[in-house]
Amino acid sequence: MRNNKKTMMAALMASVLMTACGGGGSGSSSDDDDSANSSALNAGAGAPTGAEGNCNAATTGVNWDALMSETCPNLSDYKLFTDAGDPTAGPTRGGVPYDLSTSLFSDYTSKYRFVFVPEGKTVGFNESEALDFPVGTVITKTFALPANTAMPEGDERVIETRLLIHRADGWIALPYYWSSETEATLAIAGKRLTDLTTINHQGQTLTFDYAVPKAADCTSCHSIVPNLTGPDDQREQIFLPIGPKARYLNKDFTYPDGTVYNQLQYWAEGALLAGLPADFTRVEKAPVFNDQTHLASLSERELNDKARAYLDINCAHCHRADLTLPEGYAGAAGSSGVQLEYNRNYADSPGKFGVCKDPVAGGMAGYPYDVIPGNADESYLQFRIETTDSRHKMPELGRSIAHREGALLIRSWINQLPRASCSPAP
Amino acid sequence: MRHSHTFKKLFLITAMSSGLLLAGCDGDDGKDGKDGRDGADGQSANGDASAQLAVTTSGFVITDDAILVAPDAADGDDITEALSVALFDLPEDALVVLPKGRFVVTESIVVNSASGLTLTGHGIHETVLDFSTSYGDDAFRFQGGNGITVRDLAVYEAPKNGIKATNVNGIHMTYTATVWEGELEANNGAYGLYPLKSQNVLLENNYAFGSADAGIYVGQSENIVVRNNTAKQNVAGIEIENSTMADVYNNIAVGNSGGILVFDLPGLDKAYGGNVRIFNNHAYSNNAQNVGAGVVGLVPPGTGALVLATSDVEMYNNQLTDNATTAVAITSYLLVEPDLASYPANFGATMGDGWSPLLKNVYLHNNTFARNGADPQGELLQPIIDGYGSNLNSKGSPQTFPAILYDGIGELLSNVGELTAFNALVSAEAQADGVNYDPYSADDLICANSNINGNPAPDYDEVNTGLVYPNDPADLTQVDGNGNPLPHLLIDQMVNNTYLNCVQPRLAPAVVNFRNNIYGCTGDDLAEAACAL
Repeated sequence: MRNNKKTMMAALMASVLMTACGGGGSGSSSDDDDSANSSALNAGAGAPTGAEGNCNAATTGVNWDALMSETCPNLSDYKLFTDAGDPTAGPTRGGVPYDLSTSLFSDYTSKYRFVFVPEGKTVGFNESEALDFPVGTVITKTFALPANTAMPEGDERVIETRLLIHRADGWIALPYYWSSETEATLAIAGKRLTDLTTINHQGQTLTFDYAVPKAADCTSCHSIVPNLTGPDDQREQIFLPIGPKARYLNKDFTYPDGTVYNQLQYWAEGALLAGLPADFTRVEKAPVFNDQTHLASLSERELNDKARAYLDINCAHCHRADLTLPEGYAGAAGSSGVQLEYNRNYADSPGKFGVCKDPVAGGMAGYPYDVIPGNADESYLQFRIETTDSRHKMPELGRSIAHREGALLIRSWINQLPRASCSPAP
Repeated sequence: MRHSHTFKKLFLITAMSSGLLLAGCDGDDGKDGKDGRDGADGQSANGDASAQLAVTTSGFVITDDAILVAPDAADGDDITEALSVALFDLPEDALVVLPKGRFVVTESIVVNSASGLTLTGHGIHETVLDFSTSYGDDAFRFQGGNGITVRDLAVYEAPKNGIKATNVNGIHMTYTATVWEGELEANNGAYGLYPLKSQNVLLENNYAFGSADAGIYVGQSENIVVRNNTAKQNVAGIEIENSTMADVYNNIAVGNSGGILVFDLPGLDKAYGGNVRIFNNHAYSNNAQNVGAGVVGLVPPGTGALVLATSDVEMYNNQLTDNATTAVAITSYLLVEPDLASYPANFGATMGDGWSPLLKNVYLHNNTFARNGADPQGELLQPIIDGYGSNLNSKGSPQTFPAILYDGIGELLSNVGELTAFNALVSAEAQADGVNYDPYSADDLICANSNINGNPAPDYDEVNTGLVYPNDPADLTQVDGNGNPLPHLLIDQMVNNTYLNCVQPRLAPAVVNFRNNIYGCTGDDLAEAACAL
């Protein structure tokens, strides 16, 4: 059910009233933007002052200055949540929850995402890349393993919270591990949790190790890398968010007050997002795929669309090149030749999707090509997304078990692709 | 307990106090002696005993401003956390030192955008990192950054690759080892030393053993020097792939399936390489069973060197001995994928970017060949092996397998105009760089001359050059019912040769600029004998 706009504005007004006394302790908002909009979603959120931060600062709102300059030992130092022990709800003033239509598989964990934009700043619309989040933006993503993946609303174990922070000199990422019920601590070297269990949708008990990534690992997925063009080319990789692109945000979300609204429109009407095209039908939209998606009832077009979104969000942060990237940059695995972006035209170059392409690095006996249309069983790509052998598995990071539902989606996709020269004879 | 310090500050203090405990020094100028040269203060790093913590077995001086990782670790300790923490958020020009001994590492160690980093152990035998129980994939991965040195350490049993460096400008690996012990098996790691998409690559004095792909591999990179390394018992010993301006010299490749490989593979971001010089290497007894997968899995066991679909390659002054199949194979990609009709669909995009199944201007001269071809093998070559081993070759009697084997088919098809339709696929940019499917001109020819037969006298005549197909359409005598050429299996002696008898201009040397020093034949090896020839 879609609530009407009037309801939504009422909800916004309510939150504005609530913020009157909640002003950020960090002082003045930035002045290079429009003056703070009192009805904005981030009204009263405060903003970085430019002063050196302090992890122990007694701020009433978000501890912006610490976020901008300090690597704090505890997540609670940043004051991002009203209940410091619960990163799944109740963001400090200014935090807005969101989710994605199709998301990265992370060992069946549920994810709780919030974006915090400094008061007076807005996010710029971007057609195909991550939205243009202003300096000062903080994105939190908390991973919790449900006791039963079929009942994500039930019991769960909160494992980790990752921060993406847009500082003046670029984005950085910090992983925090929930070492107790009440506190998450900085985990620069990551953390390995052994013998976690959950029950999957098929009722089977899964037991596996869960790896909280090292801080350095974040860059492996989150950066685009320069194609060094000569011996004097000293350009560096650029760190970027992955998920919050228009196509993944372009869906309804149920806000805590019960409002159900398209996220992009909610942000735009809440003065958080600027530049959203007036003709909303022009905004790219990735389909919803989740573990409840029933593959057998999908049309061929829907199956293709969902598979492409799945490959995009799970693979194309690395497996990408050209298209809408800045000139001269590629994903970290753009060099592999396999490029799986949602907005890449399949018919133009099936080879970029691995079709009839010899595996370059490594390979595996019995899997002669990355993708063999009509023969997922012998496609190396399919093998790689299903195996947990770190010699071969994809993605390289953040997955300890196979994603049964996602793998089935890709299997169906490969098997219905137009036949190619390496396909089995009909 | 809460700290008001940032993590970085805490860490530096930890590192400093470790240094103080060990060295009793307070130097922190971050400059002296890291490269064995004098620091900014003008004091000699080598001469000043108080600034010197240790010297590695290769003679590299570890100074007291170093960040010491787990300096008190004992043999067998897991140093993963200390290593991860030390290599996160590094200052510029950091010197990071691993302890002496054999240690366990249980995760991949990832280093981002390091500038001027030197990561050193105490020696190739003195600091050994065992990744056999690692949950990660690569042992080390350097992503982005510039002027990075890895030295004086060994990496054992990495689950995937040994030391990978991607998109780095200036990567130097020296006195390192990447090892997978025991038999060469398919589930050994993929690449040992693995610079990818990088500029200014210097690999020297390293040892690579046991990789199921390439021991020493440089891919999609430019300005490369690979020298004084040993690659033993890998599927591919040394491999230069889709890379430009590379000098490979003074290396030993022994006991691999293929000793030294120069490849251009289709579909990669850097579509093609070239200007690769292979000289003064010794590639011998590369007779290991090939356990690899993908294209490298097709390399016939017993191959000394293989040039595949790469143009502008010069191979000279090498010793190629005791390779059971052939000393040097020179082949187009048509040997791997003979279905020409499938090329536009499967390779159209990469051919547009300039990748070509053909090879042109490959020049072999002054190499010494001895005792090759004793037991030719390899599924890829089986019909060719059968032909030369029976009456079904140009001599009409069984022959010693050619020491130099050239497929000739790409050249033949080009010369008869069979491939001109491919010209329409090639982008203007690639065409301007000389990529085309026209008949071969003199500049394009594959040449082999002044090579030396090193066989003992009784076998003197049995160093052969073989052409699977005649490169000259005038010599085409056998076609199938559809007019397609059939293999001719031409063969003749290598010395006083009739085949491939031409010369090509010499190629330009590679230049590596690492931390503003020039390495290679125009730099620090200006006086090196290998470079004079």
